[in-house]
Amino acid sequence: MKRRIRDAILSMAIAAGFGLGVTAAHAEPEGTFKYAEQVKLITMDPQQQSGSGVPYLRPVYESLFERGTDGKPVPLLATGYEVDGLDVTIKLREGVSFSNGEAFNAEVAAANINRGVELAIVEGLKTVDGAEAVDEFTLRIKLKEPDPAIIDSLCHTGGMMLAPAAIADPALDRNPIGTGPYVYNKDESREGEVRVYTPNPTYWDKDKIGLARYEVWELPDDTARLNALKTGQIDAGNWLANPQSAIIDRTPGLKLVRGTGGLNYHVIISDREGTVVPAFADLNVRKAMAHAIDREAFGKAVQFGLAEKSFQPYGKGDWAYDPALEGIYEFDLDKAREFMARSEFSDGFTFDMPSIPIYQSRLEALAGFFNEIGITMNIVPQEPGTLARVSRTTNYPATNLVWATNTDPKFLALRYIYEDAAYNPFKAKPSEDLLNLAKEGLESVDTAIRAPIYQEMAARLAEEAFLIFVTNTPILIGVSEATANNPSVVYRFGEDSINLRGLKAND
Amino acid sequence: MLRLILQRLLALVPLLFIVSVLTFSFTSLLPSDPVDLILGDTGTEEQHEMLRERLGLNQPVHVRYMQWFGRAVQGDLGTSFFNSVSVMGAVMQRLPVTLSLTAVSAIIAIVVGVAAGIAAALRPRSWIDRFATLGATFGQAVPNFWFGLILAAIFAVNLRWFPATGFTPISDSPWDWLRSVILPSIALGTSSSAAIARQVRSAMVGVLQQDYIRAARAQGLSARRIVLKHALTNAMVPVVAVLSFQITVLLGGALVVEQVFAINGLGTLAIGAVRQQDIPMIQGLVLVMVALVVVVQLATDVIYGLLNPKARPS
Repeated sequence: MKRRIRDAILSMAIAAGFGLGVTAAHAEPEGTFKYAEQVKLITMDPQQQSGSGVPYLRPVYESLFERGTDGKPVPLLATGYEVDGLDVTIKLREGVSFSNGEAFNAEVAAANINRGVELAIVEGLKTVDGAEAVDEFTLRIKLKEPDPAIIDSLCHTGGMMLAPAAIADPALDRNPIGTGPYVYNKDESREGEVRVYTPNPTYWDKDKIGLARYEVWELPDDTARLNALKTGQIDAGNWLANPQSAIIDRTPGLKLVRGTGGLNYHVIISDREGTVVPAFADLNVRKAMAHAIDREAFGKAVQFGLAEKSFQPYGKGDWAYDPALEGIYEFDLDKAREFMARSEFSDGFTFDMPSIPIYQSRLEALAGFFNEIGITMNIVPQEPGTLARVSRTTNYPATNLVWATNTDPKFLALRYIYEDAAYNPFKAKPSEDLLNLAKEGLESVDTAIRAPIYQEMAARLAEEAFLIFVTNTPILIGVSEATANNPSVVYRFGEDSINLRGLKAND
Repeated sequence: MLRLILQRLLALVPLLFIVSVLTFSFTSLLPSDPVDLILGDTGTEEQHEMLRERLGLNQPVHVRYMQWFGRAVQGDLGTSFFNSVSVMGAVMQRLPVTLSLTAVSAIIAIVVGVAAGIAAALRPRSWIDRFATLGATFGQAVPNFWFGLILAAIFAVNLRWFPATGFTPISDSPWDWLRSVILPSIALGTSSSAAIARQVRSAMVGVLQQDYIRAARAQGLSARRIVLKHALTNAMVPVVAVLSFQITVLLGGALVVEQVFAINGLGTLAIGAVRQQDIPMIQGLVLVMVALVVVVQLATDVIYGLLNPKARPS
């Protein structure tokens, strides 16, 4: 990637709405906001965070960048960046300190990035070779390979900055120290129940602290979370598409906010060269399967009317989304049967599909659809938590997974397309077209340039039909009426949380 | 009596040892891997191996068990695989919550069960008896989590009399503590109260037909005195035996009801630990639960002995 892309540092600094130098008296933070999280807190170390649970981290940690309302990165602890080949130079905000008084500078930022690289849990840092301080407030990140999504990755856990004292603390997972607007109040928190955050007295942008107290409640039971929302015990909380979120959607006084991004549910034909199930090598069979799925009925019956039909990996509103692909595999049994008749497997065939309890009803519906065209799908139950692992093995010729639609499309290739992709256990060789498009998408950081490339890649994926996209479920946040009417509530783009900078209590 | 207590406490040692061996063996047979959960979808083979080594999962089960056992006898049940939370700390933090729930449920079960049993026994085949029998059948048939959901919907969500979720420690506010445990305790205690009511009715009907009760009546003792002092004391002997079992049932049931009311007790901890394959946490929880059950049984044996001198060890 020789192309030199210079970001307009000045405009980014303006976009960040810098609070430095603000001398006017700020309003005292007041009131409490209570958010409920559906997953239990595992760790407060962002660099060891492999899944959900980011709402527990956001009050304390700030990342170098954050996503703006349009999904594009804007600076937070950074003020701008420049990408030159494999070098990413980032200018850091001056005058920022951690809540324990330690200074934030390029040396600390480099130590954070290098720790993340060493731990190698955060997916977004896998392309990073290392980081170093150029001067006090200039950070240079060296990439191992071109990565146009690196700045986007620094909007998430990979870009969250920890205080040096926190890094040195073996109990960091419960003693977070960051630069964020709030500090973790361990004394008032109750392990496994509620995390309490209070204002950070050293915060660099004090005007953005609107709350005297922020609480994140650990409420994994969907009904308990719904009851807590109904009775005003919480102000907001995140949900998946389930009966409880459907109830929120139709309950007066509550609102189900549909955020940008979400989860795409899809079937992966892993054995697309037909090593174990020869029928899967036949394109007609794969297209027949794609046409046999009644996505609308699936979304209504299995995902409680909260999901939309999907024919591509990206969701509406995403920069790579291509409206032209809508309906490409519309439910059409006649067409599906036609494709089957054209194949060498017109008498049908049988294959095994791994299932975990949460996907059981989805797979039962899919089995019914496939049965209509003579394909028998045996659902094989797996232990919860093992689906990703078995999907990376050759134990099953096909699998079913979800994909976060706001993830950079380059990860799609890393997951499914390349010969050594994580979910290509049979090491199927990608078509030249796909491979070239996947590589071409890495040559620029500009989404305007990358969008048509990835749209073409999505069209090519549709043509090859080894990824059968079924439905998209948006990010769902259930809120009380007061929260819905609170003008300071800003939902984070592509994330199931509320932006805390500037958030005020409902009252 | 002291000998009984000592015998039971000594028997706890081999029991805990056997339980710990079984728990360790069974959890090692589970197919899911905590390393997968910690590293997520993107972990490399090398990372998996490194983490397995760090957690000691690369060693044979018996070696891991001996290491764990060596620490456990010194009172250290280890730390969670997933964070720096100590198993003992986590269990001790949640123990008062589950004990609160179990104790209030047991009180509800005893008060309601004994009262309903006596009322039914005093007028066999009357409408009171039939109503009590019907109530007992309903109480035993209804799953506690479903009943909890119904109670929450009516009394917490609609009427707003009680909180729908959460637990308030008694040290924070005794009134709020009671409000926070009352619905889950009713949900939990209903089934046990039904079992106790049936037992009390059956025992009381038998005792009330005894000669000494007829003699007491002939002596002109008041009905209340006959029932509460003479009949109930004897009728309670078999009831105490049932109570021991019911309190164990309540402890187990609390694990489910805690989920419905989002109460952060041992049940919530256990479910999270099992889902994550957090072996040290599972191990610690099982041991504490077993110890609790043994202590409950010991307590009921002592009460049984006090009520029935014939049952005391010689």
